[in-house]
Amino acid sequence: MADKERHQFSLPLSRVKTIMKSSPDVTIISQEALQMTGKATELFIQALAKVSLERNKDSEITYNDLAEIVNNDETLQFLQDIIPKKIKVSEYYEILKEEEAEES
Amino acid sequence: MAERPEDLNLPNAVVTRIIKEAIPEGINVSKEARLAISKAASVFVLYATSCSNNFALKGKRKTINATDVISAMEDMEFEQFVDPLKECLDVFRNEQKGKREASQQRKKDREQSNNSTLDGSNLDLTVEDDDEEEKVNNNSKNIEPEKTDSDIMIINDESESNSEKDVEEG
Repeated sequence: MADKERHQFSLPLSRVKTIMKSSPDVTIISQEALQMTGKATELFIQALAKVSLERNKDSEITYNDLAEIVNNDETLQFLQDIIPKKIKVSEYYEILKEEEAEES
Repeated sequence: MAERPEDLNLPNAVVTRIIKEAIPEGINVSKEARLAISKAASVFVLYATSCSNNFALKGKRKTINATDVISAMEDMEFEQFVDPLKECLDVFRNEQKGKREASQQRKKDREQSNNSTLDGSNLDLTVEDDDEEEKVNNNSKNIEPEKTDSDIMIINDESESNSEKDVEEG
């Protein structure tokens, strides 16, 4: 059945539940809610992959593609600390210098 | 609960497979990118949980349910997920219902085969069971159309097993 095939690809719900339970305010999660969150995460992963592919039409998805998308897309703002843009050390030093200049 | 920090990561193999499913073949996803997507997915789970929990709290409930998760998707501006999720919820509910019916059917079969001498009382029991099943069906009207499908599925399974028997006999 197509159903069973799809289940093979889905994320382990026990793990999803562990992550959900690590949120402090959460008390009880219904089985349906768990199922929905698992599916939503799957959709999210695919959406992220598709968007990064659209961006650069290359034959590879790289970290920088992701960082660029996260930086530009408002709905993905919650990922900005997780997938920050890479910068060179020299650029970092420049930022530091600028900050120091502002402070003094 | 999470005992090790790794427990809060999603398994990379599954995440990779899900990514591969979404993009055409021959597209390479760098290891760094895969790891980043995997982490992003974990954070997405947390973000979704916290949003759904807010909806549950608003409704003065302690349990997060499916509608909370779907409302959370709208809140997070992932409206494009709402329809597929609703579809998935229907499928899931049908599956659960199918399992329930199957187990009830098994129970009934067992009762009938065990108490073949006490036919009178046994018949009454099965009639009650039927009533309960009907009530369940009426309560979940939106699931009803699929009911025939699951019935057909069961019939198919039976016919398959019958044909297998036939082959064995032949």
